Amino acid sequence: MNSIFTDPGFWHRLQFGFTIVYHYLFPQLTMGLAWFLVYWKWRALRTGDDKYNQAVRFWAKIFGLNFAVGVVTGIPMEFQFGTNWADFSKYAGGVVGQTLAMEGMFAFFLESAFVGALIWGEKRLGPRGHFAAAIAVAVGSWISGYFILVTNSFMQNPVGYQIEPNGSLSIASMSAYLLNPWAFVQFAHNQLAAVVTGSFVVAAIGAFYALRGLHPVQARLYLRAGTFVGLIASLLVAFPTGDAQAKMVGHHQPVTLAAMEGKFEGGPMAPVALIGQPNVAAQRLDNPIEVPGALSFLAYGHFGSFVHGLNDFPKDAWPDNIELLYYSFHLMITLGTLFIVLMGFATLQNLRGRLESSRLLLWILMLAFPYPYIANTLGWMTAELGRQPWLIYGLFHTRDGYSKVVSNGDAIFTLIGFTGLYFVIGLLFLGLTGREIGKGPKEPAVATIISEPEREAVLV
Amino acid sequence: MIAIWYAVVSFMLIIYIVLDGRNFGAGMLQWFVAKTPEERRQVIAAIGPLWTWHEVWLLGFGGTLIAIFPRLMASAFAGYYLALFLILWCLILRGVSLEVGGHINDRLWQTYWDFIFVCSNFLLAILFGAAAGNVARGVPLNAEGNFSMAFFTDFNVRGYVGLLDWYTVSIAILAAVMLAAHGAIYLTLKTEGPVHDRSEKYAKYLWTAVVPIGLAILVESRFVRPDLPGHGWSNPFWWLGLIVTVVSIIALVSGLTTRNELRAFVGSNFLLVGLLATGAAAIFPVMLHSTLAPENSLTAYAVAVGPSSLRLASFWWPIGFALAVFYFIYISRRYAGKVSVQRDTQGFY
Repeated sequence: MNSIFTDPGFWHRLQFGFTIVYHYLFPQLTMGLAWFLVYWKWRALRTGDDKYNQAVRFWAKIFGLNFAVGVVTGIPMEFQFGTNWADFSKYAGGVVGQTLAMEGMFAFFLESAFVGALIWGEKRLGPRGHFAAAIAVAVGSWISGYFILVTNSFMQNPVGYQIEPNGSLSIASMSAYLLNPWAFVQFAHNQLAAVVTGSFVVAAIGAFYALRGLHPVQARLYLRAGTFVGLIASLLVAFPTGDAQAKMVGHHQPVTLAAMEGKFEGGPMAPVALIGQPNVAAQRLDNPIEVPGALSFLAYGHFGSFVHGLNDFPKDAWPDNIELLYYSFHLMITLGTLFIVLMGFATLQNLRGRLESSRLLLWILMLAFPYPYIANTLGWMTAELGRQPWLIYGLFHTRDGYSKVVSNGDAIFTLIGFTGLYFVIGLLFLGLTGREIGKGPKEPAVATIISEPEREAVLV
Repeated sequence: MIAIWYAVVSFMLIIYIVLDGRNFGAGMLQWFVAKTPEERRQVIAAIGPLWTWHEVWLLGFGGTLIAIFPRLMASAFAGYYLALFLILWCLILRGVSLEVGGHINDRLWQTYWDFIFVCSNFLLAILFGAAAGNVARGVPLNAEGNFSMAFFTDFNVRGYVGLLDWYTVSIAILAAVMLAAHGAIYLTLKTEGPVHDRSEKYAKYLWTAVVPIGLAILVESRFVRPDLPGHGWSNPFWWLGLIVTVVSIIALVSGLTTRNELRAFVGSNFLLVGLLATGAAAIFPVMLHSTLAPENSLTAYAVAVGPSSLRLASFWWPIGFALAVFYFIYISRRYAGKVSVQRDTQGFY
């Protein structure tokens, strides 16, 4: 009877992991796409060229669908802190609750007040108001990202807290908590990764229209913006932000770095494995192809630097799923590298004026859009699996955090419920997004801004 | 300090109920006040641009609750586990039906999503009502301040109670009727034509129905919680809530009888504020009453965070709230007046 399935912690982790991974498929697009909307709206205001307004109207529909699913799947995330992770909330709510509340007060209110205006309100607001709404939504979504990443960074690298007489945590220094160095690096890395997702999706739809021979003006706009932004963001995700993130892990969580690399024996001239399968039972990497010294250099700046191996740490400090952690990290890096290559080549072809004529490249761009979603998910799996067995690194174990009063049956029931509901939402989302893409941007301007007297008449 | 935070957290929840209550009510009534597809779109248009804005107040409340009263949040949410997930799923279905219904101009598609929309709003009103009933009645908190509750046990109000019993069910019914009445008033304000006329009629019927149910619940409450209103008599918020309630009833009745839509709408909003505030002040300082033993009850003082976190929150919270008020004013101005299906849609077709 002592299996993983009788462990309530397993079900709570599975449910939280599933619901958060699913939820984050949507905000990562809206956070990236928001700035495309701002840019196009700005261009529309500056140039008066209606193609930019058409782009905004089209993408606002895609944005709206994503935003709506993001909101409805996001609310369970906050509530699960209480329902599934009650003991964690009792212990650390005095700290993490601050940023969760600030996210609501400073980000969600801003976003949600203006997202309706962005999606529904072009006719009510006029061009300037519509531009302002786009900015408000973009800023709101990024502020929201920051507060959530501060919360996560506290779990990765707890700072600015104190322990109350009753054993729970509260904030000692708000500035230390909000300005956690981990949060800066993670915010930069994560937000740029969201821009990568946004730009791949923009480019993919541009490529689809180009291959179909539809909406040529819009297709060119999406392809150019998508590939150019995609290249810049992919580069910045890898360096300096990804590099800084890995160094931070090496500094604060050396055992995690060892597990990410599947490195059991410590030593200088530590290699990076390009290929290899971690074999935890035998404590080695099978079939390794390695670059000697690379890990030492990447993590600590010198080829000769000593890098700890897992065996330098007690076994109960090891992340509890080394294999999955290793693959998450390595596949993320592989995908990130491919993104740079693809977008670099596409930008080159764009500069040579051959982007829309190379059909093979268009095919690849069209089919590449799922991979940034996968890479983002893998990045988060690396962060969260790497933190194990801790819920708050060095302070509080994951196994102590779940709600003890909730039975396994209840946890399994809600997991089943989420699975079914999210499957249906996924189908609806894909179907409706596909429909909007099929209908495409409306090229002749259909929306006319109603004149002021007319609006007065309606308002009275 | 803790009393002020209790007021703040209650206030956030009250704002949420008042704002989203419009949507629950209007949503429940959609099939009754709107007969043709165009009329149903009119109801959706009255809610559509604002539903995320209303729904995030729940997140604002949830976040503030974790920040200020983490132990209450943990114990209550884990205890209400299944009920809370039902609420969350209904919120998901409500949002999804609202968003996807307008995407395809097809009779069957819209009928289906309107059906989901009506049902989820109805269930939400019932579930929030039952939740309020549970807070009033209390839950089986043990000595560690934890509880786990079935949907129903023996339908009695003492000892090992379930989520549903005769008392919480009657509050759930009150919530459904009252929020429907609130939504009808909102639709009267926001719509024109037949939807407006039917909503006006429903508002009168439903608010009339609230009176006997409300009085019955007052009597029931004397029996279920004879200790209430506890410290209410000496709590200025309790008196304030009572005054707001009385003034709102006058405004509502006069608004309904003189067909002053705005006055009725303001009355309806503040009536909910007044009633909920009176309730919140009546149970203070207990946030969660134990049906097993009074000494197991969780008071605001016992479940609040440490003083340093409280002090920090009192710096940023007013700024955040001031911003929210600013958005609120912006939104009220932008979306003032009647909706028109032609203008207030996403323009999918």
